[in-house]
Amino acid sequence: MAAESRPAPTPLLKDELDIVIPTIRNLDFLEMWRPFFQPYHLIIVQDGDPNKTIKVPEGFDYELYNRNDINRILGPKASCISFKDSACRCFGYMVSKKKYIYTIDDDCFVAKDPSGKDINALEQHIKNLLCPSTPFFFNTLYDPYRDGADFVRGYPFSLRDGAPTAVSHGLWLNIPDYDAPTQLVKPLERNTRYVDAVMTIPKGTLFPMCGMNLGFNRELIGPAMYFGLMGDGQPIGRYDDMWAGWCTKVICDHLGLGVKTGLPYIWHSKASNPFVNLRKEYKGIFWQEELIPFFQQVTLPKDCTTVQKCYIEISKQVKAKLGKVDDYFNKLADAMVTWIEAWDELNPAGAESALPNGPSK
Amino acid sequence: MRNPPSLLSLAIDSAVPNLPNFDDLSPLPDHVLVDLFLRTLRAGKLTEKILNLFVATGKEEVLTLIRSLNIRRVITPVLPTTTIKDNEVDIVIGALRSDLTSFLNGWRSVFSQFHLIIVKDPDLKEELKIPDGFNLTVYTKTDIDQIVGSTALSFSGYSCRYFGFLVSKRKYIISIDDDCFPAKDNKGIFVDAMAQHIENLTTPATPFFFNTLYDPYREGADFVRGYPFSLRNGVDCALSCGLWLNLADLDAPTQALKPGLRNNHYVDAVLTVPRTTLMPVSGINIAFDREALGPALFPALKLAGEGKVRWETMEDIWCGMCVKVVCDHLGLGVKSGIPYVWRKDRGNAVESLKKEWEGVKLMEEIVPFFQSLSLSRTAATAEECVVEMATTVKQHLGTAHPVFGRAADSMVEWVRVWKAVGSKSS
Repeated sequence: MAAESRPAPTPLLKDELDIVIPTIRNLDFLEMWRPFFQPYHLIIVQDGDPNKTIKVPEGFDYELYNRNDINRILGPKASCISFKDSACRCFGYMVSKKKYIYTIDDDCFVAKDPSGKDINALEQHIKNLLCPSTPFFFNTLYDPYRDGADFVRGYPFSLRDGAPTAVSHGLWLNIPDYDAPTQLVKPLERNTRYVDAVMTIPKGTLFPMCGMNLGFNRELIGPAMYFGLMGDGQPIGRYDDMWAGWCTKVICDHLGLGVKTGLPYIWHSKASNPFVNLRKEYKGIFWQEELIPFFQQVTLPKDCTTVQKCYIEISKQVKAKLGKVDDYFNKLADAMVTWIEAWDELNPAGAESALPNGPSK
Repeated sequence: MRNPPSLLSLAIDSAVPNLPNFDDLSPLPDHVLVDLFLRTLRAGKLTEKILNLFVATGKEEVLTLIRSLNIRRVITPVLPTTTIKDNEVDIVIGALRSDLTSFLNGWRSVFSQFHLIIVKDPDLKEELKIPDGFNLTVYTKTDIDQIVGSTALSFSGYSCRYFGFLVSKRKYIISIDDDCFPAKDNKGIFVDAMAQHIENLTTPATPFFFNTLYDPYREGADFVRGYPFSLRNGVDCALSCGLWLNLADLDAPTQALKPGLRNNHYVDAVLTVPRTTLMPVSGINIAFDREALGPALFPALKLAGEGKVRWETMEDIWCGMCVKVVCDHLGLGVKSGIPYVWRKDRGNAVESLKKEWEGVKLMEEIVPFFQSLSLSRTAATAEECVVEMATTVKQHLGTAHPVFGRAADSMVEWVRVWKAVGSKSS
C-alpha cells in the first residue's frame, strides 16, 4: 500500500455549489476570480437601488435578484431581509437549490500563498467541507486530515472519525477584519501572516464569524445562516455575520456538526471608513457584552433535532432574554421566525427540485 | 587618620551618577577624565552610552585604559524583547541519554544565557557527558534519593524531569526532550524556542472566546471584529505547548502505518486552547509558570510497559489533561502552537507497537472522565486542585484499572513531596 501516494484531486462540485455575492457597486472583481469561479453558478443579490443595472462580466452563469425581486418572491416576509446592507446576501442562501454555498464580498480578490502561487480559495473550502471536523478534542497538529498531518499521540481513536463539517470559515490577507475602534487605532495594520493551517473550533467555544470568505453545507446548516436585520431603518450594522455565526455555532454544537477556520486566505482590498463603521457598530459593541453570555448559556432541548427547530427555539430565547436589552431584539426574534417560515416555503422538505437553478435575469 | 576628601574628589563623586546628563566630556583635563572613568567603573555605572562618551573624547590615556581592561561594546543579539529577566527562568532537561554533547551544543546560542537543571534518568548507568560553557546544575539518582527521601514516586525515564520542576526556584520553567534541536521557520531562520515560550507565557491568553486571527497579542495581529471588549484583557497564560517538525508526536500505530510521515508544516501561529476544550499535551516541548501551576505537573501515570521512547509513555498526556482542567478551573490560559523544535528520528514505531500498548486503550476512558470532571469552588490553588482530582480519579477510574489507582496515589504523594521540598523557593 502506497503510504505516500499523490492526494486525490478535489472534486469540483460544480453542480452542487452556488456562489452567493452581495453587491451594490459592480462585479469587476469577478474577472480575477474567473479561472476559479467560471464553472460555477452565481447568485447575485443586488442591494440598494433596484433601478441600477449591475453588469456581470461575460461568460458567467448567474441569477440576479434586486430588491424588487426579493419583495416579489417573499411578499410580506421580505421584511426579514435587510436593505442597504450586505446582510441581504442570505436571501441568496434561501433561493439556492444546491448543497453547498460559498459567499464572498466584492472587494475580495485572489491572494497568493508564500510560494507566490494564486490561491484557489474555493477549492480549499470544498476540501474543508468534504472532510470531517474534530470538535470534541483539540488536535495540536490542527486538521489531522490534511496531507502531511495526522492525529497526535493521546488522541482517542474513538474520536478519529470526527464530525461532519458544516462551515468553512476562511481568512483574509491585507486589510484585516477589525472593528471600528481597532481600525481607528491601527489604520495602517495589514495582515501579512500566512498561517498554513485549518482547524476545528472546539465544541462549546464561540467565535466571530466573518462573512467575507465563507463556505457552508446548506443542507446541514443553511437555515441557521440568517444574517439578521441590519442597514436601512435598523439601529445596527456590521453584526450580520456575527449574529449568524453565533446562532450557527450553537446549533452545530447541539447537532454534533463541525466548524472549521483558517485556510483559505483571500486578499481583502478595501478598507472601509472607520468613522462610518463606528456609527454602524456602536450599539453592537455594547450589545455584544450581553450577547456573548447569552449565546454561551443557550441550551437547546433534545427534541430540537433539525436546524429549523433549533433556530426557532433560539428565537424564543432571544425574545425572552434579550428583549429587555433593546426592543431591536424583539423585532429580530420575529424576523428569525419569518426567515424560517420563508426558508421552509422556498425549500419544502422532500421536494426534488426540477430545475437545477433558479431563473436567471 | 584618613585625609578628608578634596574638592576635586567630591566633584568627581557627584559627577558619576550624573554622567547621563553630559554629552561631551572632552573639556575635562586628562587626569580628571581618567579618575572619573575609574570611579564610574568601580561604581558599576559604565553603560554602553557612557562608554561611548569617554571614547568620544579621543583622549589617549582613557583609550589605553579601556583597551588594557579589555572593555568591549556588547553587540546586542537581535532577539525578541521580553520583559523577563533571564534569572526568572530555569531550563529543565531530563537526560535519558548520557551523551548530551550534540544536544547542548545545538542549543548553545539559546541556552547559554539561562540556568539549566539537568536531571539524569535514575536508570541510566553511564556518566553524563556535558560540554563546557553552560550555567547548570546536574542532579543524579543520589540527589533525588537524598532530597525527596523515601517515596513510592518513580522518577525513572521521562519522569526524571519532574524532579527538576520540584527543585527549581524560578518562576518559569521550559522543558524539552533531549532528542530535540532548534528548528527553522519558513524563512529558513533558526527559531529561538526559549524566547517564544517566554513570549507565550508573558502575554495574556484568551480562553473564553476564539480569535480567528489566533494570538491577538502577536505583532501584526489583533482581536477581530465581533470580539467582546470585556474579554480583551485576557487571562494569565500558565502553560505554553510547543510543536515539533520532522518527527511529530504521533502515536505508535499512526507512525507505524505511515513510516515516512514527517511534519514539514511550519504553522506560524500560537493560539489559546479554549476553556473546557481538552487536548493531548505533549511533554516534548513545553513551558509553564511554576509559581501559578506548582505541583499541577507530576509523574503519575505509569504504563506497565513504559519505555524510554515517547511512543511507550502516557505520563505527559495524563499530566496534560489534569493541568488543563486545573487551568480552566483557576482561570488560567493554555497556549498551543509555536515554538517548533526539530525532533530527531529515533526509535521504531513498530517495535513500540509490539509492546502491550495500554495507552491507546486507556485514553478511551481518560477523555470522557476529564470531560465531565469539575472541581469544587473550594479548590483555589493548584495544590488543592490536584488533591481533589486524585480523590475523584481513585473513586471513578481507580476501581476499573489499577493503573489509575496508582496514578491517584502518586498525585497525592507528589503534593506531599512538593510541599516538603518544592515550596522552599527563594
